[in-house]
Amino acid sequence: MSRRDEILAACEKVVAMPTCVHKAASLLDGAEMDFARLARIIEYDPGLTANLLKVVNASSLTDGPMLTVRSALNALQSSEVLRFFISTGVAPYYVHVIAGYDQAPSQFLQHSTTVAIASRELARILMVDVPGYVYTAGLLSGIGKLLLGAYVQVDLREILRLVFDEGMAFDGAEEAVLGITHAELGSIVLERWGLPEPLTRVVRHHLRPDGYDGRDAVLDLVHVGNVLAKMIGLGLGADGLNYEVSSRVVEQLGITSQILDTVAANVVVELRSLWDLFLECADDFCNL
Amino acid sequence: MSKTLVVGISDMKLSTNPGDVIVTYSLGSCLGVTVYDPKARIGGMVHCLLPSAVAAREKARANPFMFVNTGVAMTVRRLVDLGADKSRLVFKAAGGANMRKDRIFDTGVRNFKALMKLLDHNNRRLEAKDVGGTIPRTLFLYLDTGRVVVRSLGKESDL
Repeated sequence: MSRRDEILAACEKVVAMPTCVHKAASLLDGAEMDFARLARIIEYDPGLTANLLKVVNASSLTDGPMLTVRSALNALQSSEVLRFFISTGVAPYYVHVIAGYDQAPSQFLQHSTTVAIASRELARILMVDVPGYVYTAGLLSGIGKLLLGAYVQVDLREILRLVFDEGMAFDGAEEAVLGITHAELGSIVLERWGLPEPLTRVVRHHLRPDGYDGRDAVLDLVHVGNVLAKMIGLGLGADGLNYEVSSRVVEQLGITSQILDTVAANVVVELRSLWDLFLECADDFCNL
Repeated sequence: MSKTLVVGISDMKLSTNPGDVIVTYSLGSCLGVTVYDPKARIGGMVHCLLPSAVAAREKARANPFMFVNTGVAMTVRRLVDLGADKSRLVFKAAGGANMRKDRIFDTGVRNFKALMKLLDHNNRRLEAKDVGGTIPRTLFLYLDTGRVVVRSLGKESDL
């Protein structure tokens, strides 16, 4: 069995992502449901977002695919349904750190949220007319790291050797050593969960948008949003800034240094309002 | 009592307590700058996101530490207010990384240039640096000696 097959077989057993589920569950157990607070927790958490979309899209609650947390929550009419989603959809599977990528607790959450906010802010500044799920796509883009981390850890020395001695980008080195990148693995797992194709497409190609044979503005924005998040530095792991930027996407979107500076400044200001959430999710019950 | 002071993005911390340590985590293209008076044993660290406040004066007024030019200058001013001697200050820097093979996303390079321009303008020199490349860095300043340490990919080295 190749490393790729071994990894894919192991990920078939994964039901859901480690998340802030305890925090969400305690809200649901309260006498009165605080929907606004629940929505806020889910919206900033890749695992819970993926899980909510998985359950809603697999149900007969909606006519079309659900691509955002808000639309999915609107489709869920009762707290009973929400309880079902929390209690049955989340596996008892937690990790304390994303070991292979050298990310401490809450760093993955911080990075995912930064990508999401940066992608959305980029669309706003560039005045690109894109669907609202650009935020969700950004939030989920790096979810494969949660799954691939253990394998990256085993082979990190060889991966970093290829990065620094052979000049490979980190995802290229992942592919060379493990037979798969975290972007592809993330998309495969989300496909298995039944998440809509516009989302899984972005997850699959967000590191190398030129590999997608078509034009997708959401993909382009998430690609740049991910780059911006890495530059800002939140949640940087062992992979660092060792990724390549698509010059085609930069040109098509009309990105300039000034635009990047403006977006980066706005993102950092917006992130300040989220530190309480990151702290909540870094506690003992919500390790990422 | 000794404390560890954590500097966030677009943030600055300083201390007059020789037992304290100031740290900033996960410098990407941002620039971390330490400023230390070895005689008074007081110092500070600023974590700047962008090179210059020229394009965003409003943001600079709200938070000067977001930008290298205003952030480092404000850090020096605060230290002098606390009793540091400007002529004794030791400057060290880390961060300013960049994405691989890219010229548009060159914030790290621009951040470092902004620091050098500011120091040159004031006839000051940078004592030590660990900047550029594609690696994330964590930066420490020990207030007892002014020792500056950079940690990256699990390895630590003195600046």
